[in-house]
Amino acid sequence: MKIPKDIKQLVIARLETLPKGRKISIGSRGEFTKEELIESVKKEDEIGKKIVEIELEFLRALKEGIIV
Amino acid sequence: MSKTYLITRPEHDDTTHYLSKWSKDTLSLAEEKEFKVLDLPREKANKIEVESKLMKFSPDLVVFNGHGDDNTVTGHKNEQLITAGKNETLLKNKIIYAISCRSAKILGEKSVKAGAISYSGYDEDFVFVYDPNKITIPCSDSTAKLFLEHSQIFIESIIKGNTIEESKKKAENILRKNIIRLLGSNQDSSLVRYLWWDLKHFVSLGNMNAIV
Repeated sequence: MKIPKDIKQLVIARLETLPKGRKISIGSRGEFTKEELIESVKKEDEIGKKIVEIELEFLRALKEGIIV
Repeated sequence: MSKTYLITRPEHDDTTHYLSKWSKDTLSLAEEKEFKVLDLPREKANKIEVESKLMKFSPDLVVFNGHGDDNTVTGHKNEQLITAGKNETLLKNKIIYAISCRSAKILGEKSVKAGAISYSGYDEDFVFVYDPNKITIPCSDSTAKLFLEHSQIFIESIIKGNTIEESKKKAENILRKNIIRLLGSNQDSSLVRYLWWDLKHFVSLGNMNAIV
């Protein structure tokens, strides 16, 4: 399924806030810099879709006040 | 009678290297508590060794560090160690913790059905953030600590004789504490989403009152 443009922009903007110089391990999918994750979201590949899923679920939880 | 603790610690990429080093401290605690420790680091984390140790020693506690998917946990160079529908019966009568992606989803359920006392792990991708500059000293990586400390606490709590439920609460509280701390931080608050993801997908199946 295609990621709507506004969702993609939102997720990319949020990924930009990740600290510089760190890597994100996504299990067996590999280890990525934030720039690589942004690229994946732009390309809508498997990693990009997973990152979008994490972001949206987190934003939903924030809205519902169920973070901790 | 002394208890037996089996742990796999592949180290063939950054992720497994970090998981391995962060779980190493649990070995000394287990020895202190007079467990027989069966440590399978690096290339020893292979299917033949794991199956042989499971059959020969029937360990009370088994910790798998590595990658995985819904159906499997893997070892050195991603060799499948335990796969649902193939050899999960080897986990019968054991307490299992798999620090690997998604294996609690199907393998966890099937293992408990096949007689595992409990199976703890993640029913989604396990995500953590680390500082590549600390790759040679992963236990000094304060970013990775936010994500990996809870798994160390979980194992140590089980070794100390707490129930799965008590141990899970302790581990979850570590993640919650880190989330709350980061929410109030200017620097790393963006990491909260991944801590929250791991907290949400950390599950324990089977007998929650079990002790090792």
